[in-house]
Parts: sequence; C-alpha cells; structure tokens
Amino acid sequence: MRPYDNRAWWLLLPALGLLGVVGALPLLTVINYGFHDIFTVRDVHWVGLDWFTMILQSDRFLASFGRSLLFSALVLSIQVPLGIAVAKLLLTCGRGAIWGLMLCALPLVVPLNMIPMLWLGLIDADTGLLGPGLAAVGFDYKFTALHTWLLILMVDTWHWLGLVVVLAYAGLSAIPSAYRQAAAIDGASRWAVFRYIELPRISGALAIVFLLRFVDSFMIYTEAFAISAGGPGDATRFLSIELGEEIKGFSYGQAAARATLYFLLVLCVVWAFVVAVRRQEREA
Amino acid sequence: MMRAVALMLLATFILLPLVQAVLLSFTATLGRDGIAVGTFGLMNYAGVLGSPTLRAAIGNSAVYVLLNVALCIAVALPAAFALARYRFVGDRHFLLLILVFRVTPPVVLSLPIFILFARLGLVNSPVGIALVHCLFNLPVAIWILESFIRTVPRELDETAYLDGHSGVSFFFRHLIPAIAPGIGVAAFFCFIFSWVEVVFARILTVTAGKPITVAIGAMFGFQTDIGMVMAMTCLSMLPGVAMIWFVRNHIAKGFALRA
Repeated sequence: MRPYDNRAWWLLLPALGLLGVVGALPLLTVINYGFHDIFTVRDVHWVGLDWFTMILQSDRFLASFGRSLLFSALVLSIQVPLGIAVAKLLLTCGRGAIWGLMLCALPLVVPLNMIPMLWLGLIDADTGLLGPGLAAVGFDYKFTALHTWLLILMVDTWHWLGLVVVLAYAGLSAIPSAYRQAAAIDGASRWAVFRYIELPRISGALAIVFLLRFVDSFMIYTEAFAISAGGPGDATRFLSIELGEEIKGFSYGQAAARATLYFLLVLCVVWAFVVAVRRQEREA
Repeated sequence: MMRAVALMLLATFILLPLVQAVLLSFTATLGRDGIAVGTFGLMNYAGVLGSPTLRAAIGNSAVYVLLNVALCIAVALPAAFALARYRFVGDRHFLLLILVFRVTPPVVLSLPIFILFARLGLVNSPVGIALVHCLFNLPVAIWILESFIRTVPRELDETAYLDGHSGVSFFFRHLIPAIAPGIGVAAFFCFIFSWVEVVFARILTVTAGKPITVAIGAMFGFQTDIGMVMAMTCLSMLPGVAMIWFVRNHIAKGFALRA
C-alpha cells in the first residue's frame, strides 16, 4: 500500500501552476464572457443569461446537437470495435505486430488540416486514384448528404484508428498467456475469452479511448469544415461549426456562452464516465 | 489466409491516401519555369526547401514542439512520481482535473487564450504555443509516466536512500534510467498531439512564427499548387515517422484512464 503523505502536493505544484495559467484562467474568462455582450475589449455589457436562453431555445442548436451526437455515436461504434479487431489481429502476428502498429500510427503524424486534403485528393474525379471509380458508381460528396457523412466518417476513422489500435493492443498484450491457456483448457469459446478475460483487462485503456474519441468527434471541426463546410444544406453542421462561425463573426459574447455550454456538455459525459469507471474499480 | 487478406485490407486502407500524396508530391501540378504539368521529379521538394517562409515554418514547428515535449516531461515527472508513490488529500481530484483539461475542446478556450497571451506578449512566439499545448499533453504525459513509475518496485527507492542518495540524485541516477522507455512513449504522444494541432497554432500566430500546419493552410489560394502542398505534407510527416521508429518497441505500452 502506498504511504499517506500530503507533502506529495509539492511535487504537483509545477503541473498545477502550468494548468492554472493555460487552463483554469482561460476557462474562467470564457465563462465570464458568456454573461456579457462584447463589442470591443472596453465596451462590455452585462446581459446575464440572455445568450444561454437564446442558444438553448434555437432550433439550429438542437439540430446540430443531434447531428454531433449521432456522429459521435457512429464514430465510436465503428472505431472501437474495429480498433480492437485490428489489435487482436496484430496479436496473432508475433514479431510482425510492431510493423502493424507502426503502420496504424502513420496517419496520427499527418498535420490535422492536411488529412481532409489527402482524402479529397484521393477521391478527386480527375486526378485521384479512387476518383474515376467512385464517380462511376455515382459517389458525390458535394451534393448527397449520405455520401458526405460517409466520407467524413471514413476520413475520421482513417485518422484515429491508430490510436484505438495502439491502446487496445497495449491492454491486450499485457494479459499473461497463462490466462488464455487456462481458458483454452476449459474449452472457453472465443467470445467468452474476449468477454470475461480480455475485456476486463483492457477496460482502462478502452475508457480513455472512448473519452478521447468522444470528445474529438463531438467537437470535430477541421476535417468536417474542410470537406463540406456544413453542407450540403445543413447536413453536416456540427456544434463546433456554429461556434466557429460566431467567432469569425466577432460575436464574442455569444461565442463564449456557446463555448461554456459545450464545455458543460463535455463535462457531463466525463463525469458519467469517471463515476462508471470508479464503480467498476471498487467491484474489481 | 483470412488473416493475410485482413492485413492487406488494413494496409491498403491506411496507405492509399499516403500513396496518393507521395505521387502528387513528385508531380508538377502547376506549370511554371518551363516545367510541363504532369512531369515527374523533385521540383516540388526543391520549391518547398527553396521558400524562406516554408523553411521558417518547419523551424518554428520544431522549436515549439521540442519546447513543449521538454516542458511536459519536466513538469509531469514529479507529478507522476507523487501519484505513483503516495496517497494524499485530493489525489483523485487532481486526476479528475487533468482529465477535464485533456478533454476540453480547444475551440472553447481559443478566444481567452489569445487575449491572455496577447497581454503576456506570447503571441507570434513559439513559447506561447508550447505552453498552450501543455493543456492536452501534460495529462497524457502524467498518465503514461505514472503507469511506468508504478512498475518500478519501491525497493529501488529504498535501496537508493540506504545507499545515501538524496531525493534529487535518486531521481536522476536511478528512477529516470529505469523508466526511460516511458519517457520515450510520453514524448512520442506529446510530440504527435502537438505537431499536428491546428486551432491554437493558428490563433497564436498572427503575423509571424507560423508553424507547418498554418503554412500549409496558407498555400491554398486562387491557384493552388497541390503538388507543392503534398511535398510539404510529406516532409512534415518525416519527424513523426522517425518518432514512431524510435519508440516502436515501447509504443504498445500505451496509456489508460486513471480516475
């Protein structure tokens, strides 16, 4: 058991100081701005909860909220099982697994704003490797909402699958082989091995994957904006795109209120997650 | 057989957009200086390396990422040690706090960060970006280092004290060598999250100090030389690929949720 010693706080001080300046201070500022109408830094008026009620009552907010939720749900239900499947596939490859992991990690080092460009280049009808084929089957991401969604999901999966694979592989490869051998002797099915041996051992790694992927997909901006800018129609107007428009339109008070709301939404999900993880830890 | 097919599919999916980018980066896509469109060669790379703005962008990115990684590791090491070795009032709240900062969307904080850093004179400077990126990299570094320090037996601490090492000399002479792979993995994750980040990097560089991500964005215009853009993209991936290579044997340690 680790000893109890409050002097350990001294070791946390540098981290706390740094996070206070770049995290807590801006966060308090943005919450404060949300209650004001801001024309210039000097011309600021208190408006109370006006921005918040205005945003929460607008149909557009609810629509984008629904779209972002749907997008996150799709992203998680595609990437997490696929990532675990790839990690399990790599586990059977012995020494070759390292090469598989390096391959999967490649998209993680591409600058974020270039990822949509790589894919738009790939599916370009004239010069892309896949372009002519896709054009022949009638794929049109500019005007067909379903195809736009497919493309954004594809791009996001391409970019982030590596993170899921690496973290899932880390959890799976840490399981002592004696566990699997014992299960094999008992004649356990592959599903039973996964459900009762592997899943509990990788839940910590999966929890962080879920959270990171949820937040990043819920607030997707760079990729989605470069591909469709919210279109066709409003089909891909996600939450962050509305926020981006307000910041670009210099409507700082409203943007701050919206940012605060988004932060609260994210906070709720994180809190639910942490409670679930702690309960599981107590039971284990 | 099934396995080979699945691996082939995976490799195709991941490599296809990259193959396209590499092909384009060697192709002249905008006719100039007597080079016909479609010619195959190194002119795009020559163009990138010949442009002072793009060269500067590579330098700027390298400076702030290195600063960020060094800062994150230096600050995260003592914190990770405290969390791995002691229980204290509020340790779980601290873990919750860094989790919250890790998942706060950058767009939420972009505006006040700009105003704050403008007052501190940190706009247009790599130091500003390096500091801001600690917001999402420091938690990751703490998680990774903490899990590595946990695997070092407590006996190592105790023998070192018996041998007459002070806390500081123990830290540098014994603990850091013991968790060197962990430092590598933490540096890797900090590196990739910082290298590819766009939102903060863009708002904090108004007139100067533009990093690679912003410089590439600025290459899009009325007549975009997509070949040159792809050459820049391929070059910008090289340090990341090198990082992957260095930590390849330890990358699979990963990190997990600590709450």
